[in-house]
Amino acid sequence: MSVSRRVFVKSGGLALFSLGLDPLFLGRAAYAATRLTAYPFNRPILVCLFQRGAVDGLNMIVPHGDPLYYRERPRIAVPAKEVIDLDGQFGLHPALAPLKPLWDARALAAIHAVGSPDATRSHFDAQDYMETGTPGVKATPDGWLNRYCRHDREHADTPFRAVAFGPQLPRILAGSAPALAIDDLQAFGLRVPQEAARDRLTHAFEELYEGSATGLLATSSQEGFEAVQMLKRVNPTRYAPANGAEYPRGRLGRSLLQIAQLIKADVGVQIAFADVGGWDTHVNQGASEGQLAARLGELGQGLAAFARDLGERMRDVVVLTMSEFGRTVRENGNSGTDHGHATAMLVMGGPVNGGRVLGRWPGLDPANRFEGRDVAITTDFRDLFGEVLARHLGAADLSTVFPGHSVDPTKFPGAIRA
Amino acid sequence: MGEPTAGAKRLSGWVAAYVVATLTLYPLSPLASQALAARDSALHVLNRLAYGPRPGEVERIARMGVLRWIEQQLAPERIPNPVLARREREFKLLDYDAPDLARRYAAAVAERVRRQQASTADDTMPPRRGPVAEFRRLAGQLQQLAVTRAALSERQLQEVMADFWTNHFNVFSGKGADRFLTPSYVEETVRPHALGRFEDLLIATAKSPAMLFYLDNAQSVAPGSTPPILARGGRRRMPAGLEQRLPKGINENYARELLELHTLGVDGGYVQQDVIEVARILTGWGIARPRDGAGFEYRDWAHDQGDKLVLGVRFHGGGMEEGIRLLKLLAGHHATMHHISRKLCARFVSDEPPDGCVDDAVDAWHRSRGDIREILRAIFRSRDFWAPPALRSKVKTPLEFIVSAVRAVGADPDTTPRLAQVVARLGQPLYLQSAPTGYPETQEDWVNSGALLARMNVAVGLAGGRLPGVTVDLDRVVPVTSDYAQLVDAVSEVILGGTMSGRTRDVIGRQLSAVSDPRQARALAIGLAVGGPEFQRQ
Repeated sequence: MSVSRRVFVKSGGLALFSLGLDPLFLGRAAYAATRLTAYPFNRPILVCLFQRGAVDGLNMIVPHGDPLYYRERPRIAVPAKEVIDLDGQFGLHPALAPLKPLWDARALAAIHAVGSPDATRSHFDAQDYMETGTPGVKATPDGWLNRYCRHDREHADTPFRAVAFGPQLPRILAGSAPALAIDDLQAFGLRVPQEAARDRLTHAFEELYEGSATGLLATSSQEGFEAVQMLKRVNPTRYAPANGAEYPRGRLGRSLLQIAQLIKADVGVQIAFADVGGWDTHVNQGASEGQLAARLGELGQGLAAFARDLGERMRDVVVLTMSEFGRTVRENGNSGTDHGHATAMLVMGGPVNGGRVLGRWPGLDPANRFEGRDVAITTDFRDLFGEVLARHLGAADLSTVFPGHSVDPTKFPGAIRA
Repeated sequence: MGEPTAGAKRLSGWVAAYVVATLTLYPLSPLASQALAARDSALHVLNRLAYGPRPGEVERIARMGVLRWIEQQLAPERIPNPVLARREREFKLLDYDAPDLARRYAAAVAERVRRQQASTADDTMPPRRGPVAEFRRLAGQLQQLAVTRAALSERQLQEVMADFWTNHFNVFSGKGADRFLTPSYVEETVRPHALGRFEDLLIATAKSPAMLFYLDNAQSVAPGSTPPILARGGRRRMPAGLEQRLPKGINENYARELLELHTLGVDGGYVQQDVIEVARILTGWGIARPRDGAGFEYRDWAHDQGDKLVLGVRFHGGGMEEGIRLLKLLAGHHATMHHISRKLCARFVSDEPPDGCVDDAVDAWHRSRGDIREILRAIFRSRDFWAPPALRSKVKTPLEFIVSAVRAVGADPDTTPRLAQVVARLGQPLYLQSAPTGYPETQEDWVNSGALLARMNVAVGLAGGRLPGVTVDLDRVVPVTSDYAQLVDAVSEVILGGTMSGRTRDVIGRQLSAVSDPRQARALAIGLAVGGPEFQRQ
């Protein structure tokens, strides 16, 4: 840590604020001072997957026991005989077949009728709310995963503590706790063929940023240089997935593979995030086959490969999927679905109370729908996310993570084994 | 603002610019000390109204007068642009009109279907010849054309605004037919209106096939309406399954983004019912078949003939004129003026722009009835634009970073898509943002540790002559010298307009002391300066 950071911490936030320094930078500087020098292994890990574009929960976890489902979706319903039945009432879309063994092993649960209490049908707003964890409040500056990191500083010891895969840091991890955005593990760091020259150049840039950068540029660069140092030991170019795991081609598969790789490298990952797009199926979304099926196929294959690759280590890992809202119960005029309200989410991993569809099912009866058209919400997404933070990661106080929401364990959907 | 006074004209060079800046930028301010020195103000406008200075440009604009340069940029049609015009002729894409592209796209789709059916062992390898390969090359050209124009055009403000509006009215060229509709969207829909009237731009985007396809309005029809082919009894001739896929009702997607993103803004005071009513008004706005040119087509049979109520304004059931009236209503709505003025100020002034410049822009919008030049002029005249907190306050987007680096060293981009691919790798693949929001503008969205490392790599590559897609002749901008103090001076001048901080000079100086080859020293100094923190800001 540079001298200047220590000075900032000592002199206290308020005095610095009055000097016009970037408050985000201050938060990060204060935070960095608490880093430990070593970290324990085998600690719980959370992997979040954001399905951007609003996944059609009704065709992902199909309510095949409900005749209304078939009545409302004459062209895009998944035929009952093709659904992979889970409990007589719900079933997996056939493209999610690779997940069935995980379900049978009770390492996979689904939560239906989950979502945001805010009524917006804007992707932009709804994603924002799900990432800030404050539905209806646009001014929230940081994401809930970042606030969790700040709240639980015990693990604040490695630049890989919170990692997002992609060129930009997503809103969910934005904030004053350090978080790393990695587009490609193999290309992370300065690309100079000769190692001595690379180290020299890295050091030169490090000095430059220490000297002249302010605010976000300074803190982000420091996090980057620390990460480069650690990755040197990992050698990410040589990685073969274990147990014959085969990741699907494409960005999602690559992200999941690299998350598995980082977890196994023991660099201290506690939170990993990746997103996967293509769920905004307004037109010709298909039924058992087609557009949505292709996306679900990639998701199912990716998650199954991830679980297989991690093997025993899945004992400490929970994967949580999320999406900003669900889609209309009734298919639209284009054999697609429009923006709706509640959706379904998946929870996978050793600590999961699996083999069950969780959450209270409100049914598809128009009288019970949200605004007469969409699946109503019976689980506030913050109660699901809160449960995962509390019971899996051991978060003690969720009031700062989800401000304005009183987290009540009796409302937890029961996704994690107590 | 107008011409410098007669007295000022007699003064020489940048003294004149300084006086003019002092007198005219702060007509209400007694604090002349707030005014910037001419070189600083030249650097500021080159960073904001342009993609950064080329060698010698700070000096040139400081001499001619910053205000005169701004006025020139606001009238791009009068700026000669021979270098870019020559380069544009090498882009085959510009020789094709929309029907040409539609034909090529159809051929590519047909080839892909054939290949899928044949399904040979090597079908994972993309073909290098034939329609698919040609179409992919054209898509790469579209991206590269944007980067080339940003780097080479003398009409810099026009390029900045073309980027602003294509991003504001974002379409995703990776979505189906938008692969072939995006080129004409850029050339014919957005660029001609980039400095025109907002209302014309809004109507042009609403009628553009690219937008109609991207946000599904072409699929939105009045419930119960019957396409002529079915009305004529064509049902029997229709392939099985096709009838089922015909649109059967309204689609709210475009209507929602029109209100939320393109005009009023998310807090603009509309409700879900307004979205539905807007979608009903725009039923029938569609796209002609590819063999008919794939242009805009209004289909009366698909139009909802009922009355509608939007934001309390009644629209009697009619035809296409309902939509035009709606778009004019939205274009002149106060919430729209405020939403877009703020967004322009976030681009030109600071990420969180002060109310003052936004109010100035809104006033100009009122006065000029949405003339984009007048709105911009008001922003560039506002006190907030020139105030110290705005200077160097913005972090460059990947596109701005790459293009400003290329311009700083006087590098020449080629017509391959390689430089555009570098922009993509830094997180901003052009015309490929799938969310209708377009790319974000604020530093929180672009600054993170991984992205900074990637920028350092680009900087080192550029300085070493290894950045793909550009040719660099460093001898023209920073001569080789073994006097490293002189070298650092030259690099500060070229890369940072002479503003390199003492600490940066020290760090670079120390690094150079270990390098004996003056060519290597030059590459190192430029690489560190371009990849360093000061060049990330503008």
